[in-house]
Amino acid sequence: MTLLDYSYWITQFLLALGVLCAVYRVYKGPSVLDRVISVDVILIIVGSVMLVEMAYNGSTDYILFVVVTAVIGFLGAVAIARYVAVRQPDSEDRVRRAEEQATAITGEPAPEPEIPGSAWGSGAYPHGGTLLEDESTSWFAALARSGFVPKRNKHDDVSEPRTDNTPDDPEDGSGPQPGSGGTHDS
Amino acid sequence: MTLDTVLDGTAAIFMVVGGLMSLAAGIGLVRFPDLHSRMHAATKPQVLGLLMLVLSAAIMWRSWSWVAIALLAWGLMILTAPVSAHVVGRAGYRTKHMRADLLADDELATAVDRLSRQRGVRREVKDD
Repeated sequence: MTLLDYSYWITQFLLALGVLCAVYRVYKGPSVLDRVISVDVILIIVGSVMLVEMAYNGSTDYILFVVVTAVIGFLGAVAIARYVAVRQPDSEDRVRRAEEQATAITGEPAPEPEIPGSAWGSGAYPHGGTLLEDESTSWFAALARSGFVPKRNKHDDVSEPRTDNTPDDPEDGSGPQPGSGGTHDS
Repeated sequence: MTLDTVLDGTAAIFMVVGGLMSLAAGIGLVRFPDLHSRMHAATKPQVLGLLMLVLSAAIMWRSWSWVAIALLAWGLMILTAPVSAHVVGRAGYRTKHMRADLLADDELATAVDRLSRQRGVRREVKDD
């Protein structure tokens, strides 16, 4: 065995160890973002294995895969990170409560928290911001929270108070007086 | 000791160093405590590991035309790796996927705090 043979097998072993560690983080990772960066690392190590194979055999078969990986490899991470940034905070609370119930039932030790303990406290956000921080979607969240229902035309306006007052707004829901729709007509 | 031996030895060393970068990324992913330090570890095979393996393959090919394509792959990785790192780090910071007690200094908190109090800047939607 020459020096190149030794380095080839050593490198493949090291790459395999790296992939195994990344797979462990994908399995264990407390949040989606940890899994995303681990999957990125796995993709890059697969490209590295192909490069090592090409260097060992002197072939150029897989170079196109490495180029394409470099071009489009970041798209998945960007997509999932944008999805995470616009997630609702109460859904995270619900997920955490469900996980606590599940661990209480199964009796397993508590897993690593998805959001680690913060020196800022549990509920305080230092910049006064929220999880709905994306400017391209925050207007929609604000609109959905305000309960605004657009007026369509005069024909639908008569039935407007009934559809406008959804049960999540009790003081408005108590006041669909007859004639309130008529004020819009005049 | 011919030129071929020297080139093969150089390629072998580069190859092993590239593998060590991937191993370092794996160990860092497992051992580090929060998202941003894991991201720090995860960029090792993206830049230096891939450069080492690309150089190793280019030395073994002994051909300049394929060197250009291999370096193109590395350059594209250099261009696209900061995009995903920026977006993932931003989402992780905003959704508190980090341990603030491990930070020596959080300059971004003061900047975001000052900007959110100014008028004319994009207001963050209040969650109340």
